[in-house]
Amino acid sequence: MSVFDQLVGQPRVVSTLRRASTEPAAMTHAWLFTGPPGSGRSVAARTFAAALQCEGAGGVQVGCGECQPCRMVMAGSHPDVRVVDTDQTFIKVGEARELVLEAQARPSLGRWRVMVVEDADRLNDHSANTLLKSLEEPTARTVWMLCAPSLEDVLVTVRSRCRHVRLGTPSPHAVADLLISRDGIDPSMAHYAARAAQSHIGIARRLATDEHARARRREITSIPTGLASLGDALRAAQDLVDEAGEGAKATSADHAEEQRRELLTQLGADLTARTQPPSVRAHLRRLDDRLKAEARRQQHDSIDAALTDLASVYRDALLVTAGSGLDRVNASEPEQIQLLARSFSAEQLLLALETIGEARQRLIANGAPLLVLEAMMIGLLLPRG
Amino acid sequence: MKFRVERDVLSEAVAWVVRGLSNRPPVPVLAGVLLTADPEGTLTFSAYDYEVSATVTVEAEVAEGGQVLVLGRLLADIARNLPAKPVEVSTDGAKVSLTCGSSRFSLIQMPVADYPQLPNQSETSGSVPGDAFTQAVTQVSIAADRGDTLPILTGVRVEIDGEKITMLATDRYRLAQRELTWSPGSTDAEHVCLIPARTLSETAKSLGASAAVDLSLGEAGRGDGLVGFEAGQRRTTTRLLDGEYPKVTSIFPSSVDSVAVVDTQVFIEAVRRVALVAERNTPVRLRFSEGQLAIEAGTGDDAQGSEAIESTLEGPEIEIAFNPQFLLDGLGVLGQPYTRLSFTQSSRPAVISGQAELDGDADDSYRYVLMPVRFAG
Repeated sequence: MSVFDQLVGQPRVVSTLRRASTEPAAMTHAWLFTGPPGSGRSVAARTFAAALQCEGAGGVQVGCGECQPCRMVMAGSHPDVRVVDTDQTFIKVGEARELVLEAQARPSLGRWRVMVVEDADRLNDHSANTLLKSLEEPTARTVWMLCAPSLEDVLVTVRSRCRHVRLGTPSPHAVADLLISRDGIDPSMAHYAARAAQSHIGIARRLATDEHARARRREITSIPTGLASLGDALRAAQDLVDEAGEGAKATSADHAEEQRRELLTQLGADLTARTQPPSVRAHLRRLDDRLKAEARRQQHDSIDAALTDLASVYRDALLVTAGSGLDRVNASEPEQIQLLARSFSAEQLLLALETIGEARQRLIANGAPLLVLEAMMIGLLLPRG
Repeated sequence: MKFRVERDVLSEAVAWVVRGLSNRPPVPVLAGVLLTADPEGTLTFSAYDYEVSATVTVEAEVAEGGQVLVLGRLLADIARNLPAKPVEVSTDGAKVSLTCGSSRFSLIQMPVADYPQLPNQSETSGSVPGDAFTQAVTQVSIAADRGDTLPILTGVRVEIDGEKITMLATDRYRLAQRELTWSPGSTDAEHVCLIPARTLSETAKSLGASAAVDLSLGEAGRGDGLVGFEAGQRRTTTRLLDGEYPKVTSIFPSSVDSVAVVDTQVFIEAVRRVALVAERNTPVRLRFSEGQLAIEAGTGDDAQGSEAIESTLEGPEIEIAFNPQFLLDGLGVLGQPYTRLSFTQSSRPAVISGQAELDGDADDSYRYVLMPVRFAG
């Protein structure tokens, strides 16, 4: 199986990357992958890195996914491929400096030294500026790959130094096909999940495999029709925040235990020991810090995902009001959509979508989640009468 | 896996191999050291941190071949403190047991499958005497940049032309160049590479005690990104820097007006004393006149110091100022009893080289070019 198979519904991108990794003239030293969340930006960067280091099948089929370099890149253990992902809000300038130094080194095993920055939108001005020189003129065998949601998320000076690759939102069918072929999910479930997740591959997979996630989604999509009074609005906001907090806690407790166990085996430390030696403790402390930052981000992501689901209901209602024949995201709950379409005018639906958009902006600006959501829910109350 | 090895052999090998392991490896599994026992009677230790790899092979009585990965530093600490008796090591389920005399240790195995493949070392390109190599690396690497503004300057440029190796490093304020001869595998050897100064000097320190160090520079294409060093049973590879090194040979002054010769040790001590009053970023001033060198530091309201030492001078008198630390760095690695300083003007770079006798010939194999500091008056 080729590594490119993981890039779903992006035939144009795949052909560009394939060409770049086989024809020297089509290669560029700095790439910027953009696309909506879930479209596979970092997957694109990793598969491209694997294709560049691939040794399989004599160059006919680059990115074979079976040779050792391919597997090492995909597992994140290739010495010449550095993947920078951060759980913090920003990539700090010190880290950026280290990257520049590392980018100067020649590849030691493969053909290229690849520097992948998964969250280029998290480079602050200072660290982005540190990278400029290296981005513009890296050494002959260094390739930079930056990933960001959109062109606007990176400094204009960084943007202008990179070749831009835009990943589109894959069609729900393509996502469903991936779920069926890769994860062996039942076709009708796969199609429901792909549609409901609005083609976000990760979320679609969770919806398809996790009953709790589906139930939660149903709860969220039924919020709009239940917002009759001020009390309803406040309750709905409180539920959303509680659920996000609990969800984050539940997943992260399992996750933390797993990460801890994995780290200890890799370190060759005794899993059952009550106190660990100092060198191991330092690793554990770093892991704890990372997990804490991750949990914070997860809570934020969880609320954001809920708002996406919520907005999809209003979108569908708007489609009904406008008489459009486009695919409904929530085709499985037609009554709610109809009810909403009857209660709101087209203008009010647009306003509702705007209210949700504003709440997301406020959350990004670090507003207190409960307050922001309460304000939003009050803005979404059903019109009287 | 099961083998038996002498305590000293084990502790020396492990200590050497883990010396390069960082405390915060990029991937936790790299904190391990890989032990490979060959039934032919050899035992190989390997460590790798993506930048530097080290392997050493020792003789051992191997009863059963195999591979294990254990925590490198822990093994080194244990090996160092064992009693002087043969050490027996064998795998025991998920653990590795180590017995020496009456002391027993049980170490946890790390996952061998997760351990990256060590870079292969290509064929030897030639060999350098160990002491000359160490000295040359020390002399040159002091001038390499430690900052991160121009990554390429953190490297030592090594140029090989037949039987001559030229090492060069600069951080824009000083430049050090050392030429030495070696025995290349083929007389028409030509190669240029850029080795990170930090890893090069660590390598030189750890291999320099041996009589000869073999260099393998790799061929074009694959494996070219590494340089390998080998001394006896110890092998290490270092990843190279890439890029175009600035053209710096024009920095060496083409003509010389004044030449002074001073006793190196006396000069170092005097500069070190006077520099005590030179605060951050202030220079020491050197005034050369017939038979005497006056060293001064500090101005105006600050503390001041001065000292005069004996010196010869050919050509016009000159007053020049240097960053004291940069000056001392160069003098400290000169390795010759007398220091020759060549000047053109007090605003132009000066060249420092060594010589064996006061009125002997200059030894140009090592040259340290130092930019002067401008000073008022």
